[in-house]
Amino acid sequence: MRQGSILVLSPNSAITDSLKKALIKSGELTVISHLHSAFDYIYNHIPDLLIMDLQGDSEGIGLLNSLKEDPLFANLSVLVLLGEEDQNPDWETLHVEDYIWRKDLEKDICMRVELCFSRSNRMVEVNPLTRLPGNISINRQIQYRLDKGIPFALAYADLDHFKPFNDKYGFSRGDEVIKITGRLMLNIVRNKSLTNSFIGHIGGDDFVCMMDPSFIEEACQEVIDAFDRIVPSFYDPQDRESGSIQSCSREGHARQYPIMGISIGIVRVENGMYSHFGEVTSVASEMKHIAKKNVKSGYAVNRRRPDPIPETGTG
Amino acid sequence: MFDKVDIQTLRSNVESINALPTVPSTLRRISIVMEKPNVGLDELGRLISNDPALTAKILRMINSAAYGFPGRISSVSHATMLLGLSVIKGLLIGVSVFELMEKTMIGLWEHSMGCTVAARMIAQKKGLKEPEEVSICGLLHDIGKTVLMLQYHDAYDKAMQEAEKKGITIHEAEAGYFMASHADVGHWLVQKWNFPLNLVETIRYHHHPNLSRQARMETAIVHVADVIVRAKGLGYPGDHVVPAVHPGAWEMLNLAENDICDILINLEDAASSTRESI
Repeated sequence: MRQGSILVLSPNSAITDSLKKALIKSGELTVISHLHSAFDYIYNHIPDLLIMDLQGDSEGIGLLNSLKEDPLFANLSVLVLLGEEDQNPDWETLHVEDYIWRKDLEKDICMRVELCFSRSNRMVEVNPLTRLPGNISINRQIQYRLDKGIPFALAYADLDHFKPFNDKYGFSRGDEVIKITGRLMLNIVRNKSLTNSFIGHIGGDDFVCMMDPSFIEEACQEVIDAFDRIVPSFYDPQDRESGSIQSCSREGHARQYPIMGISIGIVRVENGMYSHFGEVTSVASEMKHIAKKNVKSGYAVNRRRPDPIPETGTG
Repeated sequence: MFDKVDIQTLRSNVESINALPTVPSTLRRISIVMEKPNVGLDELGRLISNDPALTAKILRMINSAAYGFPGRISSVSHATMLLGLSVIKGLLIGVSVFELMEKTMIGLWEHSMGCTVAARMIAQKKGLKEPEEVSICGLLHDIGKTVLMLQYHDAYDKAMQEAEKKGITIHEAEAGYFMASHADVGHWLVQKWNFPLNLVETIRYHHHPNLSRQARMETAIVHVADVIVRAKGLGYPGDHVVPAVHPGAWEMLNLAENDICDILINLEDAASSTRESI
């Protein structure tokens, strides 16, 4: 079972005693009976789970809701204890993840706590547009592979001429293009290698995927082909026909921009070339810049060997 | 005199449809494909684009609000890439078969397949960028007939008998039984399902190509493809009449005699492979 830090907040010593006994193996338990000191503790320590005995306390509800409104605490699971007096709680105004009846405490608490932990483990920060995992998961996934010595390839993609498209057609149409890009990468990468593959959305028009190095170039080429075929559907018919749009440059001058493309930088990571995720993403970013020099969609691969044979001047 | 359903009821009955049934041969092929351990997107795409009901199902899904780009995707190959293997397999599990008027349905299915081939060929000859999208317009142009057969099979059967007896088109005979034509009915449904404008317009105006505003070329192509396939006698669109081609559409396409011959030869091949699959 996953261990986590649990804060129990209840003025009732019978309840806290039975929780202490029941949850002895569930995690690192802290018990606080006073509301204000409990919240002081939360702001300083941020536990993984808060078990809160409500007892109709409106001040407690207010403090809890304002805590949960801060995105920093969005991942803190709250399990609320309810009694006979709380028959129909209004979940719109009570921001908790789960509840348990006081009468079922001894029977159910262990399972509820386990479920809370496993649920928050499954929840990764996702990009609201594409529902793909974001930066924290991306970095964690890279580091995991580096630490375990798993060979992999990472592709870092972004769109060419996305900004003028967004400026001309508005951001909701820009969002549509972001969504299809995420879907294409997800389906194509998973189709190539379902195990060990990962697709993340850094934000904006930047995406990352990781997979078995032997499939990466094939997968990237498929993403490029699919993107180039589908993206014209997102232009107005006359722009699609002419193959370009008029939009403003960063300097504010009107100029023509071609239909969007996708550029991908690829890094192959084998036997101890890198130790930190930042190194991998920075090489990928360099490769992406090289890919971008090509006017059309395309990819560039880092083929540097782990221990390059030094070039000598003598020949 | 036949008692017609009022237009509001008709429309709400049409819009309440959740899925269109297919023909038995398609269902057989689905079960064969689903049993393969490593079925690929290409194979699923081919299966889907050979059937109006499956195509409509896939396009409805990818153009739904859930995916966040409604009205954008009108090609099966794009839709399959965007939906992905597991979603498509899930969608195919729920496909059902027509219980009633099976023979008519198979005839309509053959007619639709013929229009798919003819529309694709005309689009290629005219140098359109996405001939596949135009072929889908051909595949789905008579979707309204499927809907009417499904919801009002007795009345539709009578309309077909009347078309036969009087030697008129089913489109003309429908007027005696329904407050709207199969073109209107198909249009309501695909509009409700957020299909892209080129599909909405070709379905709506394939009998009146001059009325199309946003997809004039595609509508003209589907209109002419429909007449060519009828002239070839491929499938059964609900009557045995070969109507006149709309002059505006004919002029717009400006097809040479060779082009027509070419299309007819290809239809011959398509017809024999279609018959094999049934």
